[in-house]
This record gives sequence, C-alpha cells and structure tokens, in this order.
Amino acid sequence: MMQTIWFLVILLCITMYVVLDGYDLGIGIGSLFERNRASRVEAVELVATGWDGNESWLVLLAVALWGGFPLAFGAILPDLFLPLIVTLFALVLRGASVEFISQSRNPSGMWLWIFGGSSLVAAFAQGFALGNLTSPLHLVNGAYAGSAFGSFSWYSVLLGITVALGYTALGYGYIKMKTEGGLRLRAAARGSIVGLVAIVFGILSLIGINATAAPLDLSTPGRAIAFWALLVFALGGAVMAAITFGRKRTTRNADILPFGGLVLMTVAVIVAFTVARYPVIVPGLTWQAAQGPRNTMVFLLVGIGLNVPLILFYTWFAHRTFKGKRVHPHTGPAHLETAIVGSSK
Amino acid sequence: MSLTDLSRWQFAFTVMFHMTFPAITVGLSIFLSIIYAAYWRTKKPVYLQMFRFWRRIFAVGFALGVVAGAVITFQMGLNWGVFGAKTGPIIGPIIGMEVVTAFFVEAGFIGILLYGDGRVRHVTMFASTVMVSIGTILSTTWIMAANSWMQTPTGYTMQNGQFVPTDWAKTIFNPAFIWRYPHMLLAVLIAAAFFVAGLAAYYLVKKRALGFAKRSLSIALGVAAILLPLQIFVGDSTAVNVTVPYQLSKLEAWEGNWTSTSNGYTVFEIPDQAAGKNLVQITIPWLGSAIGAKDLSGNAKTPGLLLTPAADRPNMAATFWGFRAMFYGSILMFIATFASIILRLRRRLYTARWFHKFLLWTTPMGIVSILGGWTVSEAGRQPWLVFGKLTTAQGVSHLAPGELVFSVIGFMALYLALLVAYIVYVVRQVKAGPERDDPAFDPGTPPEFTPLPGDITNPMEGALAR
Ligand code: HDD
Ligand code: HEM
Ligand code: HEM
Repeated sequence: MMQTIWFLVILLCITMYVVLDGYDLGIGIGSLFERNRASRVEAVELVATGWDGNESWLVLLAVALWGGFPLAFGAILPDLFLPLIVTLFALVLRGASVEFISQSRNPSGMWLWIFGGSSLVAAFAQGFALGNLTSPLHLVNGAYAGSAFGSFSWYSVLLGITVALGYTALGYGYIKMKTEGGLRLRAAARGSIVGLVAIVFGILSLIGINATAAPLDLSTPGRAIAFWALLVFALGGAVMAAITFGRKRTTRNADILPFGGLVLMTVAVIVAFTVARYPVIVPGLTWQAAQGPRNTMVFLLVGIGLNVPLILFYTWFAHRTFKGKRVHPHTGPAHLETAIVGSSK
Repeated sequence: MSLTDLSRWQFAFTVMFHMTFPAITVGLSIFLSIIYAAYWRTKKPVYLQMFRFWRRIFAVGFALGVVAGAVITFQMGLNWGVFGAKTGPIIGPIIGMEVVTAFFVEAGFIGILLYGDGRVRHVTMFASTVMVSIGTILSTTWIMAANSWMQTPTGYTMQNGQFVPTDWAKTIFNPAFIWRYPHMLLAVLIAAAFFVAGLAAYYLVKKRALGFAKRSLSIALGVAAILLPLQIFVGDSTAVNVTVPYQLSKLEAWEGNWTSTSNGYTVFEIPDQAAGKNLVQITIPWLGSAIGAKDLSGNAKTPGLLLTPAADRPNMAATFWGFRAMFYGSILMFIATFASIILRLRRRLYTARWFHKFLLWTTPMGIVSILGGWTVSEAGRQPWLVFGKLTTAQGVSHLAPGELVFSVIGFMALYLALLVAYIVYVVRQVKAGPERDDPAFDPGTPPEFTPLPGDITNPMEGALAR
C-alpha cells in the first residue's frame, strides 16, 4: 500500500519533470534555429525565471527513488551511467549558460550556442537513458555488474529522438503562449511541423517497444482498457494542439491550446506506458523487489509526501508571478531610446 | 589507480566544486535579505545599490551551486551504487527532505529575487529574498544531518546488509551533527563575510563607490568579529566531543604524528604512509599539549596514527594538510578581524590602506578553510564510507573503466572551465563596479538589446555586436 502511494509520487515527479523541463529544454532546442541573437536571448529569458524549479523535479525524482526503492537506485543508475553522465554534463552547462546570459548586458554568442546545444544533448540523452530501461539488467548479489555499452540498443536511439522531438514541440507551444511578434509566429509554424513528426515517432516507439525485452503487458482487461483509454486522451490532446498550433491571430485558444494539448498528450502517454509496464522497472527488477523498509516509507510519506502539495504551490506561485505574455521591462519606443543611448557610448 | 580511486577522485572533485558555491551563496542570501530590509525601511538609495550589486555576484554562484548539486545527488547512485542501495533507507529520505523543504523553496522564489525588481511589490521582494535564505539554511541542515550520520551512525539496525532506520530522531540528531552543524553554518557565514569584505576593500583601495564600499565593509567585518571567535570555540568542541570519542583515527591523522610520544604541534610535514613515518617534519615543542589537551604543563602526548591498524588508517597527508588549510586560514582571518576591531575603535577602518590591501588577500580565505575542513572530515573518515560499518571499497559501483575515465576527465574539464568563467565574471563585475547600480546614477534600465515584435533582422544587432 505505502509502496503504491510512493510509486505514484515517483510517477508525479516524472510527469512534472517531463512537462516542465520538457518545455524548458525544448525552448533551448528551438533557439538553435533562431537566426538573430535577440530572439535567442529572449528564449533564454523565457526560461530564466523557472529552470531551477523545473530541474528540481529531476532531483526529487532521484531521491524519491533512492529512499523509496534503494535497490533500484543503486542498480539502475550505474546501468545508465553513460547517458546519465552526458545528461548531467549538458544540464550543468545549460544552467550555467542561462545565468551567464541573463546576468550580462551583452551576452556572448558562445553561451547562446551552449544553451541551445546542451538543451538538445540533454533531451536526447534522457530519451536514450529511458530506452535503456528496456534492456535486461545484469545483477550480481543485487548490485549492478554490467558493462559500459552492453545494454544500448536501437530502441534507445529511437526514444532519444522521440523525446527530443516531443520536448521541442512543448517548447514551441510554450513560446507561442508566452511571447508576441516574430518569435511567436515562427513558433506557430515550426511547432505544428515538429509536433506532427513527434507524434509519428511516438507511435513508432509505442509499437517498437514490443520488439524489445520489455514488451507492454496488456494481459488483463483492466490494463488493456486503461491503456487504450489513456491513448484516447493522448489523441484528444494531439488533435487539440494540431488544430490550434498554426493559428496566427492572438486569441486565448490559439495561445493556450497548443501547449495545453501537448501537455495532455504527454501526460496521457506517460501514464499509459506506466500502466502497461507496471510492475517491471527494467527487465529483471520489479518495484516490489526494490522497495525500501517500512520505517523509511513512513518517513517518506509523512515528511516528503505532505510537502508535495506545498511544492506544487511554489511551482504554481513562481509561474503565476511571471504570468501572461512575457513583457520585457523596456520594449517599445522608450526601449529604442535606451538602445541608442547605449550604442552611442 | 583502481576503479575505486577513480570514483573517489571524481567525487572529491565534484563535491568540492559544489561546496565552493554554497560557501558564498548561503551567507550572501542572508546578507541580501538584511540589505533589502534596510532599503525597504529607510529608502536610502545606497541599500538598493548594494542589493543590486551583490545580487549579481550571488546569481551566477547560485546557479553553479544548483547544477553542481544536482550532479552529486546522481553520483550517489552512479558511482556509489552499492552504497546507495545499502544506505538509501536512511540517507535517501534525509536528502529528500532537503529537496522538498529547501530546493523547491529556493527555486520557487529565486526567480522573483533575481528578476522581480520593479515587477512585484517591496513586500513580495523582501519575502522572496527571505524565503531563499531560509531555503539555503535548511539545505545546510539536512545535508549536515546526512553527512554526520555517515560519520557517527546511530538509530538503525542492519537487515540483509541494508541500513534500516529504527529511530529517526537518533538518526538525524546523531552525535556528530550536534557540533558539526553549527560549525558548518558559522563557516558559510564567515566565508561570505570575508568574500564581501575583500571585494568592498577593493573599492576603498581604488577610491571608488565609497558610500557603497564602506557600508558593505562595515557590515561584513562586524559579522566576522562576532562569529569568528565563536567558530574557533565550536571547531575545538567538535574535535573534543566528536572526533576524540568516535573517530580517533581522524584526529591521529590530522595531528600528523605516527608515534604517541610528542607533546609538540606540527606545522609542516611530508608523511610516508607506507613506512609509517614522516619524511620531513617541523614541530613546535609543548604547543600540541597546550592546544590539543589544554594541558599547559606540556605533559599531554598526542595520539599517533600507529595506534590504528594499518588497514583502517586514513591518508595522513590529505587529512593533515586539510586541517592546516582550515587552521592557518582561521588564524589569518582572526588577525584580520582583530585588526578591524582595533581600527574601528580608533575610527580608522575606512582609511587604513594597508588594511584594505590585506583584506584583498583574505577574500577567498573562508572558502579555503571550508574546503580544507571538508578534506579533514571526508579523507579523515577513510577507509570508511559509513564509519566503522561500510568501507569505501565496498560501496563503489562496478563500472567499466572506459566510462569512468570519460566521466572523470569530462567533469574536470567542464568544472575547471566553469570555475574560470565564474572568476572572470566576478572580476568583470567588480571592475565594472557598483556605480551603475546606484538608482540615482541610472534611473532607467541598463541598455540591453531586446527583440522588436516581428523582427527577423534586428536593427540593434549592429550596435550591440560591438
Ligand atoms: C570558515 C571556515 C572554518 C573555520 C574558520 C574553521 N573551520 Fe573547522 N571546518 C569547517 C570550516 C571552518 C568546515 C568546512 O565547515 C567543516 C567540514 C565539515 C564540517 O562539519 O565543518 C570543518 C570541520 C572541522 C573538523 C572536523 C569535523 C569532523 O569530524 O567532520 C574539526 C575538528 C574542525 N573543523 C575544527 C576546527 C577548529 C579547531 C577551528 C579553529 C581554529 C576551525 N575548525 C575553524
Ligand atoms: C550527504 C552528504 C555527503 C555524502 C553522502 C558524502 C559521501 C561521500 C562518498 C560516497 C565519498 C567517497 C569516498 C571517498 O572518496 O573516499 C566521499 C568522499 C568525499 N567527500 Fe563526501 N559526502 C557528503 C558530503 C560532502 C561534502 C559536503 C563535501 C565537501 C564539500 C564532501 C567532500 C568529500 C571529499 C573531499 C571526499 C574524498 C575523500 C578522500 O580523499 O577519500 N563530502 N563522500
Ligand atoms: C554531498 C553533499 C551535497 C549534496 C548531495 C548536495 C546536493 C545539492 C543539490 C542537488 C542542489 C541543487 C538544488 C536545486 O536543484 O535547486 C544543491 C544546491 C545547494 N546546496 Fe548542496 N549538496 C551537498 C552539499 C552541500 C553543503 C555542505 C551545503 C551547505 C553548507 C550545501 C548547500 C546548498 C545550497 C545552499 C544550494 C542552493 C544553491 C546554492 O546556494 O548554491 N550543499 N545541493
């Protein structure tokens, strides 16, 4: 029972992370295709207020796994060593670049490239790591005993691409919602295309997983019904986004539904995958086998579980403070003046 | 070099890099709260100027601390998978508490602290700054509880090779935590104080932004004058109440003696670990008895590392020199603090140029002491991960050599580059100076380039590319 609740907390962390840092990294990937520096800086400023909080869900995911399912933490992380290390390298560079850019008046092009490049690498590496969870784990006495490349497969690559595409679509959805002008229009045009490609890759991944060592388990009617019902939700989200993404005129629907639809789709797909794979974490290890002792679960549920509503509140609060279209403190004519004053110095 | 050694080097390097940033940002966040409160109440522009300038130094350090911290959490599983699986039931929840009570609080309010100026009300701004500092203090609390449990494990039983908690109060308030936690908290405040004092002294030397510099210097040295004597007491109590009863091998290593026959204090040495003797050694007679055992007769002898079986001995060179870095750093900072009190009483604090030049040299001293102190704690804990219960070699993940080499080299290159970038950034900010943060100097906003709605080619690009 306690394990099930804790498992749901972990699922919440995954979902929050994928949605929040997904749009965050997606904006970074999108910035690689912006031609001028000003738009790329605007992309950075769009994530500057929230990237720290978004990434905290990843840290919470790690420690929730560590405390609640210690054997899984100790065995899976070494198994995913290379893709996770690459993810960490990329996230370190990205966080540094965001702050170096937004704290400087005239950010260097190098940091802007690092921002975009590391976002792409992080997204791909995360998908790649996730794909690795379909390969069997080599355990000796409960400890990881594999080799560096032993568990990499074509499925890891497929999932890497899918995740990168999905994040990019989320990023464009967010840009469309939060900005005005040229950046928004380009996000509308590119977002529709990337979104469609992402859906195609998503379907491929869904089919492809049955060819790996960890096929979907739809053996009971309950599982099958839940799985297909969730996919219907995902389809609904996808349709919602597809219809509204390209709309140019600024209306509430045209701005919110592309992102909203993608979020709905992402969440539904994550939950559907989880339903169809539970209780396997990775072939050879189940959630039940990895669970921590009772005293730990009590502490986790009371101490951390009760804090979860609070951290959802912080997340909401931080986003609400900077709600609406991102207004630059000095856009418009007044801003042009300062720009001229600045350039004449 | 064994695979365990590679993981150790990687961990030591990454955790030291992380530690460098909280060493200044915890104290700076509290400093920012105080300054903003002063501005809010008095509306004096100098406080807003101070807030904006120190916030810029704080912002990038904070970000680097965050990303490097996230790395450490993962390393507990990546490099120390067996340790992760065995101690997860105890350390996992403690760090989990850190995440939910500290990291999310910091992350939720840091955006407002950094970018809310002019967008939110004074009270929101102040509250957010305070929330961020509360977050950093809670972070320190939990991390010290986790690490101290590894030094003096209590409140658990062993089941199937796993540490299973039986009494959470004993686990968290373990014997080492009681003393190490205040010691750590004082350490970060002192380190930030010297960091601020050093940079403020630069402006006094250069005769720039004097109003700003004097106020920053005065607050920083005032804080140091109160906390440093306290810290020396707490540090000594840590040794007496934690190390001597629980981890004598650590003390033997940092005092630098092999035999237990010396009453002196060793100020310099090059030990030979394998042979169990020192190759070079400079020892001042009598002093060891006085400092260590508080025995002024000079009769007390310091225990030597030969008392510990060879397999259980920590590395003497690392532990000894870690302690000396902390100790010599303390002495230097103590001299600076003492001088500042005298100068303040004689009303020469802002005019004694030799003193300001001296302060420039002590800018990083708090950070050096902290890194030294952690070397004592962690290298002195070896060969154990959980003292007396789980050795480092038992806790390591069985990784492939190639991936480990890749990650060690990758982290070294990445972090060294970021360290250089941070130092360059701070130097540039300091040279650019706080003048532009003075609300009277620049009532508008700094010239900055922004996109115009609908632009593809930005008219300002040319102007700004220069
Ligand atoms: C500004 C920083 C600073 C200053 C001035 C001092 N220390 Fe310290 N010390 C630290 C910063 C620090 C630290 C980095 O914060 C450590 C590492 C872990 C910890 O709990 O505190 C530490 C650890 C540490 C330990 C090891 C505790 C363990 O077993 O883990 C001892 C025995 C002392 N210190 C003793 C002293 C003494 C006798 C000092 C006075 C001369 C002193 N410290 C000044
Ligand atoms: C929850 C807190 C901490 C945990 C769980 C932890 C865990 C570990 C582990 C697993 C090792 C590897 C053993 C080894 O390298 O010998 C280690 C070593 C080390 N840690 Fe910590 N650590 C913690 C806090 C810190 C902090 C805050 C610092 C300093 C900033 C630090 C500094 C080091 C250093 C320098 C080593 C290398 C020691 C050596 O030379 O062998 N640790 N620690
Ligand atoms: C091995 C031990 C440590 C681990 C595992 C660790 C973990 C982390 C993590 C994951 C973050 C990122 C937070 C975020 O995502 O928002 C972080 C940041 C932070 N850590 Fe650590 N940390 C360690 C040591 C320490 C120590 C000893 C201190 C304080 C004395 C400390 C203070 C902080 C603070 C204040 C932050 C916020 C960012 C900053 O101010 O730089 N950490 N840490």
